[in-house]
Amino acid sequence: MASHDDKGVKRSNMEDNGQDSKRIKRAENGDVAPEKYNPYLAHLNEDGNGNGNGNNGDFESPLDSFERHNTTAVQAAQAEDSELNPWTGQPHSQRYFDILKTRRDLPVHKQRQEFLDMYHNTQILVFVGETGSGKTTQIPQYVLYDELPHTNGKLIACTQPRRVAAMSVAQRVANELDVELGQEVGYSIRFENRTGPKTMLKYMTDGQLLRESMHDHDMSRYSCIILDEAHERTLATDILMALLKQIAARRKDLKIIVMSATLDAQKFQSYFYNAPLLAVPGRTFPVEIFYTPEPERDYLEAAVRTVLQIHATEPEGDILLFLTGEEEIEDACRRISLEVDDMIRESDAGPMKVYPLYGTLPPAHQQRIFEKAPEPLRKGGRPGRKVIVSTNIAETSLTIDGIVYVVDPGFSKQKIYNPRSRVESLLVSPISKASAQQRAGRAGRTRPGKCFRLYTEKAFKKELIEQTYPEILRSNLANTVLELKKLGVEDLVHFDLMDPPAPETMMRALEELNYLACLDDDGELTRLGGMASEFPLDPALAVMLISSPEFYCSNEILSIVSLLSVPSIWVRPNNARKRADEMKMQFAHPDGDHLTLLNAYHAYKGAETNGEDMKRWCHEHFLSYRHLSSADNVRAQLKRIMETHDIDLVSTPFQDKNYYTNIRRALLAGFFMQVAMRESSNSKVYKTVKDDQLVMIHPSTSVTSPYDWVVYNEFVLTTKQYVRTVTNIRPEWLLEIAPVYYDLDTFEKGEIKSALTRITDKVKRRQAIKGSGSALSGGSEEKDTKKDKPSLTPMNVTEFIDLVGVVVEAKDENLEKKENMKKSKKRWRKGRKKTKKEAALLVPPV
Amino acid sequence: MGLAAAKNKRKLGTDPNNTKWSRNETTFGQKILRAQGWQPGDFLGAKDAAHAVHHTEASSTHIKVTLKDDNLGLGAKRNNGDECTGLFDFQHLLGRLNGKAEDVLEAEKQKRENHLRNHYLEQKIGTIRFVRGGWLVGDVVKEKVTEEDGVPQSESVDQQPSEDTNSAESTENKSKKRKADSHDEDEKEEKKDKKSKKRKTDTEAETDSESSKLKKTEKKDKKEKEKEKKKKEKKEKKKSKKSSSDSDDEDDVESSASEAKKSKKDKKREKKEKKEKKKEKKDKKRKEKESSESATESEDSKLKDKKRRKDDTETATSSGTSTPTITSSTRFLARSRFIAQKKMAFADSAALNQIFMIKS
Repeated sequence: MASHDDKGVKRSNMEDNGQDSKRIKRAENGDVAPEKYNPYLAHLNEDGNGNGNGNNGDFESPLDSFERHNTTAVQAAQAEDSELNPWTGQPHSQRYFDILKTRRDLPVHKQRQEFLDMYHNTQILVFVGETGSGKTTQIPQYVLYDELPHTNGKLIACTQPRRVAAMSVAQRVANELDVELGQEVGYSIRFENRTGPKTMLKYMTDGQLLRESMHDHDMSRYSCIILDEAHERTLATDILMALLKQIAARRKDLKIIVMSATLDAQKFQSYFYNAPLLAVPGRTFPVEIFYTPEPERDYLEAAVRTVLQIHATEPEGDILLFLTGEEEIEDACRRISLEVDDMIRESDAGPMKVYPLYGTLPPAHQQRIFEKAPEPLRKGGRPGRKVIVSTNIAETSLTIDGIVYVVDPGFSKQKIYNPRSRVESLLVSPISKASAQQRAGRAGRTRPGKCFRLYTEKAFKKELIEQTYPEILRSNLANTVLELKKLGVEDLVHFDLMDPPAPETMMRALEELNYLACLDDDGELTRLGGMASEFPLDPALAVMLISSPEFYCSNEILSIVSLLSVPSIWVRPNNARKRADEMKMQFAHPDGDHLTLLNAYHAYKGAETNGEDMKRWCHEHFLSYRHLSSADNVRAQLKRIMETHDIDLVSTPFQDKNYYTNIRRALLAGFFMQVAMRESSNSKVYKTVKDDQLVMIHPSTSVTSPYDWVVYNEFVLTTKQYVRTVTNIRPEWLLEIAPVYYDLDTFEKGEIKSALTRITDKVKRRQAIKGSGSALSGGSEEKDTKKDKPSLTPMNVTEFIDLVGVVVEAKDENLEKKENMKKSKKRWRKGRKKTKKEAALLVPPV
Repeated sequence: MGLAAAKNKRKLGTDPNNTKWSRNETTFGQKILRAQGWQPGDFLGAKDAAHAVHHTEASSTHIKVTLKDDNLGLGAKRNNGDECTGLFDFQHLLGRLNGKAEDVLEAEKQKRENHLRNHYLEQKIGTIRFVRGGWLVGDVVKEKVTEEDGVPQSESVDQQPSEDTNSAESTENKSKKRKADSHDEDEKEEKKDKKSKKRKTDTEAETDSESSKLKKTEKKDKKEKEKEKKKKEKKEKKKSKKSSSDSDDEDDVESSASEAKKSKKDKKREKKEKKEKKKEKKDKKRKEKESSESATESEDSKLKDKKRRKDDTETATSSGTSTPTITSSTRFLARSRFIAQKKMAFADSAALNQIFMIKS
C-alpha cells in the first residue's frame, strides 16, 4: 500500500503546516517553531534536524536535561510535577494533578525505577502485571519519558487486542498526560486513525500494527513496541511476536516489551531468548472459591438460581455472571429480573439491576454496565446491587469495579477450525483452568470476594485444560498465510511461532490460496494475492471483490462483501418472529440469500436518501441499524481500497436481465470452494464439493426453491450441519469460472464428478447443436430470464420493468461479453446522469 | 441415553473426518510444506526452539471438541439417572460374607434404606426445611442451650426422614448441629439446594476450617469419613458440654409436651405441624401448601438472616435456607399465595371493616 502511505505523509504534511501556523500564533515572541518540529516526519530525514531537544524550541522543558535511555524515575517524577506540560509547554490543568495523584497510587508506580533499570539493560522485556496494576496506561508513559520521542522522531506503539480498548485507553492516557487525543497521544484501529503529526504514543490494535508492518518490514517508525495483553494470544499478537523476534535481531535499537496479565510468563521468557521478567502484583483481594458438590444438570438454571441466592443472602456487592452467548445472556437477564421483581415484592430484598454484556451489544448499552448499583428502595433498606451477565469479554479486557461475586458455569463460546472439513465455527466448550482463575480473580478487585463455580472441584481438575488454546491453533489460516507471504516470510514451516499451528491447518490454507490464485504453484505470492492481502478481508471475499468487475457488478459485490463482514443484519426478536420473517420476505429474492441481503441494503439506502428516520425505519423492518450502518462504513473503506488499486466500480443496469445472474456468477469467483450439490433429487440433504460433508440448508434461508447446486457463505455446526446464506447457482458456471478447482481429471470419483461430467457433455452437445460455440452459460439463459425476474425491491419500484416475455437469444459468448461490456460501459456513462439517484445510493455518506 | 430420551438422528457422510483429504499426499499444501523441509509427524515452527517444551497436542493436529447442544453443566453426565439398582442388597450380602457383626450390618442397611427413601422423596416432591425456634427448657423457650438442661427440640420429623440419619448427631451444640445437619442434608438435597445451603453454612462459619475441608471433599465418596469426623466432634462436645444424648422417641415426647405448654414459638410450630398433617391427608394439594409455606419460611429466614448480620448473638434463632421448591416456577407459587391472601382478607369481615375503615 505504498501509495496509501504516501497519502498519509502528504496529509500529515498539510496538517503539519496547520500546526505550525498555530504555533506561530502562540509563540509570538519570535521564537518561531522550526521546520524540524514534526517528530512524525523527523524519521524521514533522520540525519537532518532530528537531534537534541528539537521539540522544545519554544519553552523550557524539564525534558531538555534528560538523556535518552538513561533517565530515572525521580527525574520523570519532577518533570511530571512541573507547572508546564513537558510535552506541549502548556500549563497543566488541575485535573492533571488530580489524576497524577491517583496514578502515583497504582501498584506499578512503586516499581518505576526498577522497570527503567531493566528497560535500559535489555532489548526485550517481559512484563507481568495483573489487571488493575495500571500497566496498560502507565508503562507506555514510563517508556515515553525514557524514549523521548521528540528527539528522534520515532513513535512508541502499544498494541491492544480490541478496538474498544485501544480507543478508551488512548483517551485515558491523553487525559493523564494532559494532551488532546489525536495529538501527542493517538490511536489507530482498522477503520479509524486518530493520530497526528505530533503523535508520540500510539495505541493501536495488534491487527493494525501487522497491517502497517506489511509495508514497513522493519517497523522503522517505531523505537519501542509494547505488546499488551499478550496472554490473550490473538492471531495478530502471535504473528507480531514472531515478527518482532526476527526484527529485533536486525534492529538492535528497537525495544520490545511484552505485557501479560497471567503468570504464564515462563513461556514468554523462553520464547524471547530468556528475556528478563518484571512482575508487578495487582491490587487484588483474596477470593474465596466455592464448587458445587455435584455436577449441575442445567448450568443456566443453576446460574440464575445462584445469582438470586447471592442477592438474597450475601452482603452488598455486585455480581458478575459468565455465560456463553447473546441469546443465553438475554434469556438469563430476563429470568433474573423477573425473579428479582418477585423477590422484592414478596420479601424485603434490595433492588437489582441486570445488565447484559456481549460483543454485538451497541456501545451505549455496553457503557451501562459501569452505572452504579441502584440505591436501596427506601432509607435503611437492603442495599441494591447490579448483576452483569457477560460473555468472556469481561474475563480480562474489561475492568468493572464493585464486582464482589463471580458466578462461573465453566463454559465459553470458542472458535474452532477443522481443516479437514474446512469448518470454522463458534462452539460452546469448557474453559481452561487459567481462564477459570481469571474469572474468579474478577471478584477480588474492590474487596475480598467470592467465586461460585457451578461445577465440582473434580471437574475443575480433570475436565479443564491448563491454558486456553491460542487463536492461531483455532482458526483458518488462509488470511494469515497470505499476510505472512506479504510480510516476506518465505519459510512457513520454520516460521518461529510461539505455538505452531497444526500442519494440516497450514496445508489447507496454502491449498485454498492456491485455488484462489493468490499463490502460484511454487507457493509464491501472485499479483492477485498481493492485491487481496491489501483488503482486510478473508482471501475468498477479497478475490471475489477484485474479480467482480469482470462480471459487471463490482458495486453490488462490494455491498455484499460489506454485508457479509458485519454481524447479521436481520433482527428476529423472540416475541415477533413471525412479523420479522414477514418483513424479511419483503426483501427476499427467491434465488439467493446474498441477493436478499443486497435488496435489504438497497432498500436501506433508498430509505436513507428519502430522508427517513433510519433508526425507526430499521426497527420497523426488523433490520439492525447498527450493523447496516457499520456495513456502510466498511463499504466506504473497501471502496477506498478498491479505488487505490484501480478496481473499476461498475454495475449491470438493473433492467438488464442479467443483473442478478451476474451477481450470482460473481459470487462463485470467490466462493467456488463453498459449493454443495443436492444428494438426490427432492432430498433436503446436500453434499459439499470435494469434502463430501452432508449438510442442509439453514432454515433461515429465503431461497424458495433451491437448485441442485448452491453456493454458501458459511457452514454452521449445531445438532445438524447447516449451510447458511446460500444462493442458487448453475453447475456450468463452476466449470467456467473455476476450471482449476473443477478440473474433472483430478476430481474424486463420485456423484459430484458424474454430475459434472454430465453437464460438460450437455454443454458440448448444445454447442454442437447451436454450432456456434455457445457459451457455457448460454444454455440456461432462457430459464434464467424467468428466474431472474427480480422481486419488488423498494429501491427499484419505479424502475421496475416486467421482464417476462423478453425473448433472449443466445449469442456467441465472446461477442456477448464484448457487447455487454460496451453496453454496460456506455450505459454506465450515459446512465450516470439518469441514474444519479442510484449512483447516490452507491456512494456512502461522508 | 435411555430408550425414552429424545432421539437425535443425524446423517453422517461416508467420510465425516475427511481422511481422504488428510491422507492425500499430493495436495498443494503438502507439496509446499515438504519442499520447505517438513516431514509428516513433525511440528511446524522453529527447529529446536527453547519454547518447544510448551507446545501442546494442538500443534500437531487440529483441536477436537465435542459438540455441546444442551445445558448440561460441566462434568454432568446425561444418563445420571440410570443407576444400577439392587446394589445395596448385594452390599449387604458382601458385608455378611466379610464377617461383619449383625448389628453393624443392620445399621448400615438402615442407613442405606433411609438414603434411598430420602432420595425418592426429594426427587418426587422435594424436602422441606424448617426454621429453628430455639430450645424448650422447662416451660420457657431459650435461644441457647445451657449445660445439662438443653433438650434439643426435634425438628418436625414426620415429613423429614433425612433427620433420621441425623438423629445421632442431635446432641451436638446447636450451631455445630446446624452445620452438620446442613452438610448431611446437602448430600440428600437436590444439588442446587445443596449449593445454596452450603454457601450459607460457609458464610456462617468462614473461619471454620472443618467446613472448608468438608466443602472440598467429594461428598459421596467420603461420606463415611465425614461421619467419623462428626462423631469425633460429637465426642469432644460431649466432653465439654456433657449434654445427654437423646433418641428420636424422646424428642417426640418432648415436642408433644411442648405443644401442651403453648409458648409463643410453640404455637407457630403447632400450626406448622397441623399444616403438615393436612398435607399428608391432602396429597393432591400438597404443592400449593408447600409453596405458601416455603414463602413464609423463606421470608422468615431472610429476615432472620438480616438480624443475624446485625447481631451475631442472635444466630441461634436463624437457620438454614428456605424450603426448596421443586422445579416449578417460584413466580407462580408466590403469586398464588398472594391471591390466597387477598381472598382470605375478603372473606374476613373484620379485616374488610378494617380495610374500609368501618367502625362497628
